[in-house]
Amino acid sequence: MTKKEPFFWITVSCGLIILAFILLPLIQMLTAPSFSMLKETIQDKDVVRSIWLSIYTAGLAALIAFVFGTPLAYILARSNFRGKHLIESIIDLPIVIPHPVVGIAILSVAGKNHWLGQFFGELGIRIMGSVTGIVVVLTFVGLPFYVNAVKNGFENISPRLENVSRSLGASMFSTFSRITFPLAWRSMLIGIIMCSARAISEFGAVVVVAYHPMIAPVLLYERFESYGLKYSQPVAVWLVSVCLTLFLILRILTLRNKKDE
Amino acid sequence: MKKNSVIKLMAFFFLCAIIILPVSHASAEPAGKLIMFHAGSLSVPFAAMEKAFEAKYPKVDLLREASGSRKCARKISDLNKPCDIMASADYKVIDNLLIPKYSDCNIRFATNQLVLCYTDTSKYADEINADNWYEILQRKGVVWGHAEPNIDPCGYRSLMVMQLAEKALDKPGLYERLLANRPKENVRPKSVELISLLQTGNMDYAWEYLSVAVQHKLNYIVLPDEMNLGNYKYDSVYESAVVKVSGKKPGTFTTLKGKSCTYGVTITNDAPNKEAAIAFLQYMLDPEGGLKILKEMGQPPFVPARVPTSEMKDKLPAELQKLIIVKD
Repeated sequence: MTKKEPFFWITVSCGLIILAFILLPLIQMLTAPSFSMLKETIQDKDVVRSIWLSIYTAGLAALIAFVFGTPLAYILARSNFRGKHLIESIIDLPIVIPHPVVGIAILSVAGKNHWLGQFFGELGIRIMGSVTGIVVVLTFVGLPFYVNAVKNGFENISPRLENVSRSLGASMFSTFSRITFPLAWRSMLIGIIMCSARAISEFGAVVVVAYHPMIAPVLLYERFESYGLKYSQPVAVWLVSVCLTLFLILRILTLRNKKDE
Repeated sequence: MKKNSVIKLMAFFFLCAIIILPVSHASAEPAGKLIMFHAGSLSVPFAAMEKAFEAKYPKVDLLREASGSRKCARKISDLNKPCDIMASADYKVIDNLLIPKYSDCNIRFATNQLVLCYTDTSKYADEINADNWYEILQRKGVVWGHAEPNIDPCGYRSLMVMQLAEKALDKPGLYERLLANRPKENVRPKSVELISLLQTGNMDYAWEYLSVAVQHKLNYIVLPDEMNLGNYKYDSVYESAVVKVSGKKPGTFTTLKGKSCTYGVTITNDAPNKEAAIAFLQYMLDPEGGLKILKEMGQPPFVPARVPTSEMKDKLPAELQKLIIVKD
């Protein structure tokens, strides 16, 4: 057996510290509520409704990111043009901006003091305190994660494959749907997971735009405010478990297909 | 060689100790961090007080955290966050959530009243006045809101004002009719949040404290004393307004009766920096210090500040006792 260098032990201990740092508080929180509390909480209609609303709005945000983000990611991966870096930094902006600022920014264009808000108002679309508003916010914060993941996916596919397809007479659309998409769909799925994971965890921006209807993090906050820690923890446990299960299923699906190929 | 480095190391630690010691063992002058949780509606006057106080005691760093008053209390009682001073927009919050375990004094220092705020771009802004506000709030398309009653005292007080209006104006059913025109979405956790909704044109009218309206330069409708919760002489009238807020666990409720808006401040029992906390209260409760600032900002202070019993007064540090009277 070869003697391990000190460097090895440094890497291992750093890794362990990080794992403990992430896991300890989470485990503490997950194990704090009693079983009967958890049961009582999941029978609470408000809790179920808010968790469902969270999943539903985050899913919608990911869907919007998929529809609008995929073509953009493709352009960014395939072509070079002046101002590309500028566009890339603009796309990263939602990651950098503090969350409440995002909410305030969206509210300030959604009110009737802004022409866009006036326009929406005439169409009967309300942003403040509506599901539409929540989806707008979640899409805003989730988009960069989708676009970046998918852009990387496209970059890893050799353009030569597309060129061959095009030279054999396939149209741009059929090249995309028959060559690029089948090769890149996994990165899209990862993008969707990343985007919806980011969206489902958002609190700061949502609470500025919509307090009611309550998504799960807002309900958690409300429970904490009005009833204290004891009654907010079970909600947290359910939200975390539901999210982890969903993401686990998605992960397993993607991994299994990888083996098949 | 090795011995040499040990000596060097010891010398280094010694030097560190010399540098650190004077900070931790300060002289009689208050120093260090002073942590304060306070109601959102006190943000502006406390910011001004912080400036003046820190100029007087440059070694103290006042760290303020604003939130709903009940949240302030929860942070102390449930989260065990270190805190020296807690100031609540409703002194009852201190009585209900902090005394006796986390604190044993409750000093009432200021009053306030509720007003209906709006901006120049609010719908029907050119029409609204103290006589027709309740008609306008019932009109379709008017977006108005108030703070969450379960979290922010301003929230349940807004509801009480409308109940009192129903009674004072002798318009049975007015309260229900008003609320019917206020979708749940227009309820926000903190009353101060409603201001940005007003200013961005997302909302037309919001119930706020007079002080907040003055500090944010909003337009506002002042209501008569029998419904504005601002005059403690009307406490027997205010009592008839009753609002249910969340109790100790989901699904349970506590009933709150109307009472004039009275602000309370307390020093926690586990205050990490009691010395500085006392120094701050000394400044804050001084009629020429903090109380004067409150007055200038639309929050009429009690001069002098008051506690309910002489027992409570006796528990206070001597420096504070002379700034306080016993009055129920």
